[in-house]
Order: sequence, then C-alpha cells, then structure tokens
Amino acid sequence: MFDWVHNVPILSIVCYLPLAGALVVMFAMKSGQEAAIRKFATGVVFVDFLVSLPLWFAFDRNGALFQFRESKPWIESIGVRYEFGIDGIALLLVLLTTLLGFISFLSSWSAIHTREKEYYIFLLLLQTGMLGVFMAMDFFLFYVFWEVMLVPMYFLIGIWGGPRKLYAAIKFFLYTLVGSVLMLLGILALYFYNAGGLLGWKGLGNPATFFIPQFHDIGASIPPDLQVWIFLAFFVGFAIKVPMFPFHTWLPDAHVEAPTAGSVILAGVLLKMGTYGFVRFSLPILPNATVKLLPWMAALSLIGILYGALVAMAQKDMKKLVAYSSVSHLGFVMLGLFALNGPGLNGGVLQMINHGLSTGALFLLVGVIYERRHTRMIAEYGGLSAEMPLYATFFLIITLSSIGLPTLNGFVGEFTILVGAFSRVWWWGLLAAIGIVLGAAYMLWLYQRVFFGPLTNEENRGLPDLNRREILYLAPLIVLCFWIGLYPKPFFRVLEKPVEYVLQKVDPTYATAVAAAPAAAPAQAAAAGE
Amino acid sequence: MPSAQEYQLLSPEILLAAAGLLLLLGGAIGRGMGNRESALVSFFSLALTAGLVVRVQSVVPGRLTILGGSFVLDGFSFFWKLLVLVATALVVLLSVRFVEEGGYRASDYYALLLLATSGMLFMASGYTLLTIWISLETMALASYILAGYFKREVRSNEAALKYFILGALSSGILLYGISLLYGATGTVQLAELSEGLRGAQAQGNPLVPLGWLMLAAGLFFKVAAVPFHIWTPDVYVGAPTPVTAWLAVASKAASFAILLRIFYEGLGSLRLEWQMVVAVISAATMIWGNLAALTQENVKRMLAYSSIAHAGYVLIGVLAVSRVGLWSVIFYLLAYSFITLGAFGTVILLERREYAGETCADYAGLARRSPFLAGMMLLFMLALTGIPPTGGFVGKFYLFAAAVEGGWGWLAVIGVLTSAISLYYYFRIVLYMYLRDSDQTTPVPLHAPALVGVIAFCAFATLALGLVPGPFIDFAKRSLLPLP
Repeated sequence: MFDWVHNVPILSIVCYLPLAGALVVMFAMKSGQEAAIRKFATGVVFVDFLVSLPLWFAFDRNGALFQFRESKPWIESIGVRYEFGIDGIALLLVLLTTLLGFISFLSSWSAIHTREKEYYIFLLLLQTGMLGVFMAMDFFLFYVFWEVMLVPMYFLIGIWGGPRKLYAAIKFFLYTLVGSVLMLLGILALYFYNAGGLLGWKGLGNPATFFIPQFHDIGASIPPDLQVWIFLAFFVGFAIKVPMFPFHTWLPDAHVEAPTAGSVILAGVLLKMGTYGFVRFSLPILPNATVKLLPWMAALSLIGILYGALVAMAQKDMKKLVAYSSVSHLGFVMLGLFALNGPGLNGGVLQMINHGLSTGALFLLVGVIYERRHTRMIAEYGGLSAEMPLYATFFLIITLSSIGLPTLNGFVGEFTILVGAFSRVWWWGLLAAIGIVLGAAYMLWLYQRVFFGPLTNEENRGLPDLNRREILYLAPLIVLCFWIGLYPKPFFRVLEKPVEYVLQKVDPTYATAVAAAPAAAPAQAAAAGE
Repeated sequence: MPSAQEYQLLSPEILLAAAGLLLLLGGAIGRGMGNRESALVSFFSLALTAGLVVRVQSVVPGRLTILGGSFVLDGFSFFWKLLVLVATALVVLLSVRFVEEGGYRASDYYALLLLATSGMLFMASGYTLLTIWISLETMALASYILAGYFKREVRSNEAALKYFILGALSSGILLYGISLLYGATGTVQLAELSEGLRGAQAQGNPLVPLGWLMLAAGLFFKVAAVPFHIWTPDVYVGAPTPVTAWLAVASKAASFAILLRIFYEGLGSLRLEWQMVVAVISAATMIWGNLAALTQENVKRMLAYSSIAHAGYVLIGVLAVSRVGLWSVIFYLLAYSFITLGAFGTVILLERREYAGETCADYAGLARRSPFLAGMMLLFMLALTGIPPTGGFVGKFYLFAAAVEGGWGWLAVIGVLTSAISLYYYFRIVLYMYLRDSDQTTPVPLHAPALVGVIAFCAFATLALGLVPGPFIDFAKRSLLPLP
C-alpha cells in the first residue's frame, strides 16, 4: 500500500513542502488576505503531516539502518553531497516535527493578529529547517539546516514575543550561534582526519567526504586526544541547544517571550536537536571521548534534573515554570543517553518524543489561558476547574503525563531511563528518582494552585472553555500520550536497530576502558560486565 | 620598447587607461560630458576591458611573463582583473543617481574611477616590487581624490585629507621597505627576490627583516588590517557612499592580490617568519574589527569596521599557505565583494533625499515600508555574518577549513567566535528593520532601476555562491599561485 513512497523522493517532499508554501505566501498572497494566508499555511503543514505519515508505515523495521535514501552530488570539489535518509530515531523526530508543526499553526490562529503574512512565512521556513536537520546524512548539509533554522526562530521571538522580546531573541540567536560555530570546527576536524589529516594528526587518507555513516565507521580509529577535542566542540553546540546546565540560561528567556507556537516548537522540536546531535554524532563517532567524559556528562545531566526541578518550583509565571521543567526533563534524556546501555538509550530517545508531546501540550494549554486572560501569573488564577472543566481535564492528563504516571507516556520513558541509569551507576538512578519526585511536586502544586479551591479572582468568572479548534489540536497529543503509555512497543520496535547500532559503536570501547582501569567504581565494572 | 605582441597582451590595461583619459578630455571640452553619458561610457569600457582580459587569457599558455619580467599573466591575475572590473562596473551603476544628486561634475568622477581601476589591473599582474608600487600609487592617488570628491562637504574633505596623509605615509614605508630589500638582494623582481632573500637571510643580513617588515606594514595598511586600519572608519564614512563601496571591495581585492603575490612569490623563502606575523595581525584584526563594530550607530562606520574584520578572516587563508587556503581567499573575496556591494547599494538607495539611511535608527520599520529592500538587506547581513545558505557562509567555511587543516586551530577558534559576535551588530540593522516600528509608514520608492538592479544582482550572486558554489570553486582553483 505504501510502496510508492520508495519511488518518490519522499523526504525531500516532506522537507521542502513548507518552503514551497512559504514562497507562495511571500510572492502570491497579499497582506490584506489574512484569513486566506492563515488557512493556506495551515493547509500546507497539514498536507505535509499527511505526506509524512506513510513514512511510519513504509519504514522497514528489519531493513537497512537508514532508509528513504536520497543521494546527489552537491559541491563535488570538497566532497559535499546532498544526502537524505532517516533511521528509526530520525523517523520519530520527523513525525513529531510535522505533527507539532501542524498543531502550532492551528494554535496561532487566535494568538497572532499582527503581521500575519510574515508570521506564517517564518513559521513555514522554520519547519523546513527543522525537518532538514533530522533528515540530513551529510554533515555539511546538516550544518546548513542547523543554522538556517535559527533565523526564523529569531524573528518569531523578536516580532511576536512578549515585552522583553528583543533581548530574548538576540540572546537565543547568539547563544546557539556560538555553540554551532564551534561545532563547525569539530566537523572540519573530522573531515580532515578522514581525509588528509590536520594539526599534526596524520589523516586516514580516505576520499574527502562529509557523509555521516563514514564518520561512524572511522570513529573508533580516531586518536583519543583528538576525540576529546572534537567531543568538546560538539558538546558546546549540542549542550547549548539541549540545553544542559550551565548553558540553559537562554531557554527561560526565549520561552517566556516567544509566542505560544514558538514555545511549542522550541520545546517540542528545537531542544531535541541537541539530544539528537549527541545520539547521532557524539556517541557513535567519538566512543573513546564519550567514555572518558562520561562522569562529567552524567554530573551535568543530574545537576540539570535537580536544579531545573528546584527552580521550576519557585516560579510564579506558568511559562517559566514549564521552561525550567524542560531543563529538568532534558536532563533525564541526557542521563539516559549517557547510561550507554539498551534501556538508557531507548528510554532517552523515547523521552525526547514524550517531552515533545507533553511539554508541547503544556505550552499550548498555557497559551489557551493566556489568550483569555493575558496573564500567565499563577497567582492570578485559582479554582478554574469549575469554570473550565474540559480545560481542567486536559491540563490534568498532560500534568500526569509530564510527571510520569503509569498508563501515560512519561512513565514509560522515565522508567526505562531509570533502569538504564541504575544499572550503570546506582546512585545516578537514585538522584534521578529524586528529580521525578520533585517534578511531581512542582507540577501538582501548579495544578492545585490554578484549578482547585474557590474561584479567587473575579476576572476568571465565566471564562469560556476550550473551543472546537483547541480541542482539535490538543486531542492528538492526548491520544499519543495514552498510546505510548499503554502500548509503547511499536515505538521501541522502531528504535531497536538504531539503538543497537549506537551501542555497538560505543560499547566495546566502554567495556575495554573499564577493564583497563580496575580502579573505576565497582558498580561501573559490574554494569559493564552484564 | 615592448614588442607588438606585448602591446596586444597589454590591450585591456591600455584600453581602460585610454577610456579614463577620454573621459577627462570629454569633461573639459565645451559644456562637458553629462553624468549619464559618462557613466555609460565607463560601463561599456569596463565591459570591453573585461572582454579583452578574457581574450588575452585565452591565448596565454599557463603563465607568461612579459616586459622584461615585470608583468605576469596567469590564472591568478586573470581572476583579480575580472573581479575588480565587475566590481567597478557595479560601482558605476551605483554611482549614477548619487553623483547626479551630489551636483558635482560627473565626467571627472568616472575618469578617476577608470584610471584607478587600470592601476588595479597592473597591480594584479605586477611582478616586480616597483611595478606593483607604481600601480598601487596610480590606484591610491585616484582614490584620495575620489574620497574627497564631494568637496563642499566637510566630512568628504576630512576623509580625503586623512586618507591622503596616512596613505602617503604608508606608501613611503612600503617604498622604503622595497629599497632595503633591493639593497639586500640587488633585485626587485619577485622570483629573483625570493632566491636572493634565501641567501641574504642565511648570511644574517639585518636589512632583510627590516625590509620585509616595512613592506608588510605597507601592505597591511592597504588591506586595512589592525593596527594599520585607523584611516578606514573616517574615510569610509566621509567618502561618497559609492566610493566607499568601491574602496571596500575593488580596492581591498586589488590590495589582497598584491599582498598574496608579494608574500607568496617575493617573500616565499621567508614563509616561516611572515606566517607568524600574519597570524598575529589576523587575530588582532578579527578581534578588534568585530569589537569596535559592536558600538557603531552609523551604518557606514559599522560596515567600515566590518570590512576590517573581514580582512582579518581573509588573512587566515593567506597565512595557511596551502591550496585550500589560497582558493578560500579567492572564493571569500568573491563572495565578500558581492555581499558588500549589495549592502552598500541598499545604503545608497536609502540615503537618497526622502530617507536618511546612515544611522541604524533610519532603518526602523523598513520591513513595512519596503519589504524588498529589507529582505535584501537581511540577506546581506546574514551573508556577512556567515549564515547559510549564503556565499558568506561557504567562504568562511573554507577559510576555517584551511586554518584547521594547516594547524592554525587557535586562529580558527578566534575566527568562529568573532563571527558569532558579529551577528550582534549586523543584526542590529535587522532588528531595526523588522522588530522596530517607525512613525513613518510611507513606502520607500524604488525608482532607481540601476540601483535596484545592482542590489538584486548582488543578492542573486550571494545566494548562488551559497547554494551552488561548485563552479565558482573550480574557477578559484584555476586561479592559484604557486605555493612557496
């Protein structure tokens, strides 16, 4: 039924459809026709979502690691090629992007009333940029998408953001740019090591290429000290994006100032690019450095988990609270990835998706109430459950998903991560579990203050409940939360091969490193011996 | 006396100089030639010259030295000649309106532009230190006058005076360095010089370090590298904006051509010494150029510091002394030229009567008043920062690649960090254009077809260099110098 997918450049279609839509809006539509622009742009991303769905069905779970390959020469003189392809990890992220893209467009209808034409152009461009990042299999191409995407995000925050938007926009751009230019140096180092050598290291003499699987193959042969340098270069780029403690300070500003759709995409997809970078590049290409720097990575992740949760607890602004909860949740993802075992990696990747769904939904829900009352201060609310019962129910489900209640998606992700962390180093798991408790505390406390008790603020009386459009865009997220919570197997099935692949690249080194250093913590040795 | 064949090979230079003289004459006779006619004559003589350059190149086998070893024709000189001719032709188009509105005699303006450009052609091909110096002076003297062409404006006067005094000083230093090297080796011909220096160096001749350092200082002045950049901001702000664009692009490109030629061919045997010096200069230029640009409110002054910073990036490619380094320099200056011309073109368009356009604040709300211009300016600012998919990104990518490959990791780190910083000042303009509103809402008129055409062409080139850099890289690869 989905065989046709293999006969068309499906990834390019999915990736460039929003770009084509942006060009149409830019040149063929006038600023006066706001309603038409809105509907057209949303239609484009909806079609894009529909076109991306067959990927899920046509993806061969037992087939090649990277599928739907497209390969064309681009800049031949330096070995840059136009390479597209996705593995299971990228597949999930692509689908998440198209889904959240569509949802964020729908949510913008009532939220954005100024300069709508430009707004939808930037949002469409952003969509293309993000999809390209997950599809690119050429490091140069990856980097192009990675940077291109910053520009529309800058405008989304800077034009349609809150009171401190100018500051937040440039801070976002500068922070992420500093990270990505250093990553560029890491890419160049890999490139030259694979080919003619650099900085006194003798290269391997392979034909010059930016092809990512080629770097996976040579990963183990890169000298350890060079690996550490490249790892650090990548680390700055990815860690700022995740964001890991202490590089997270741009995130609360960007989130609080961004319009709802911007926040949804920022939290749902953009942050995942950082963690995706770690799984795709740092771990498999630089196994030695990964193992060497493992304690640091774990420490930063754990600090992120606990620090993010504690700071979230002290917030008065709902959006800021959710922003800090992201820091905490992404800490979980990172901890899972750096547990370097099956459960940890599986859980980490799945939790990327979960966080996209739950946090995306949380930002949407905050956006809903903000549109009605134009404030996000928790103290302004109280007793909303009587006024907006449906809203309260949706909010409750997402809250429970976010704190990891069984039958919902968060539980599956966090549990597997904890299993991975415990079996690597037991106290990692312990500290992470404390983070979960704190997470439950700040989320439930938020819920209690906003929804329970008597109606304290008269302005909240008679607020309209969710309308049909809002239900429409929230429902898919709720359904997915339950699906992953009740029956996660199809998701793990897609991740099987890529996770195994990453482990194969990184784990042998780990085993030998532990064997070579008997002084290492006994728990680590035990874990590696499994 | 040059032979007939040599005259033929010199035909582009001769044609351009003749066209310049013709314009001077045309301005002096009767009521003088008008602005449009002069511009038209200049544009077509530049195009014709470019045609002749291509024709000459097609008969040159690889590398040919004529006029007693003082003039060389090779892929390298071919590239720079084409670049300065195209850049100057675009500047002519940028100037038409501007000169008209300035109300000064037009034909002399274009005559000086052409004469200076013929000097640049000689610079690209000069193969003795003296040929190079004389052609440099031809360019420089005409530039001093051009900088002060709007003689009733105080800033233009100031620019010309500063440019002249500091330029004369640097020319003197350059010449002094040349004479010292001549004293040490007895030659000014680049190939012989390199050989001679090897011997003189071995004997520990003190003239050698003194001589090449002075020579280098003069060259750094011409490309506006820190700490020899002090003239740049004032000259760029004071000069008529098309002249500023021309100084930032054509003059800078020609100066880099002689810098590469002298360092690679003349001082090739001193490579290890000058590499270190150039590295320090490059780092200082990147850091200072970018930091100083951060606080500028005047767009022309900001672009002046930005052009200083970009000289620092290009120097990375120079000191890498590798094939990648060389073609990255060539590619980068190609991309930089179009980007910078486009950016200045936008400034010129806005500078016209209805609209100020010199301070960042004048750009407020431009996205509403002219989505086209704002979009173009956004593209140029992105390209100057080095964000894909623009030529600016590909250019920086190669420069940093050359640094990483050649063992200059610390320079690459400074380079990428300073270019991230540069985002802040380039995007200040973007911030005003898109994120701020102005009280004026009348659309900006676009009734200068030549200007709009140049801007659109530069935008197209900027994108083409970023999306399909392949052919341009191949072209750059055919324009290399022999490595020392």
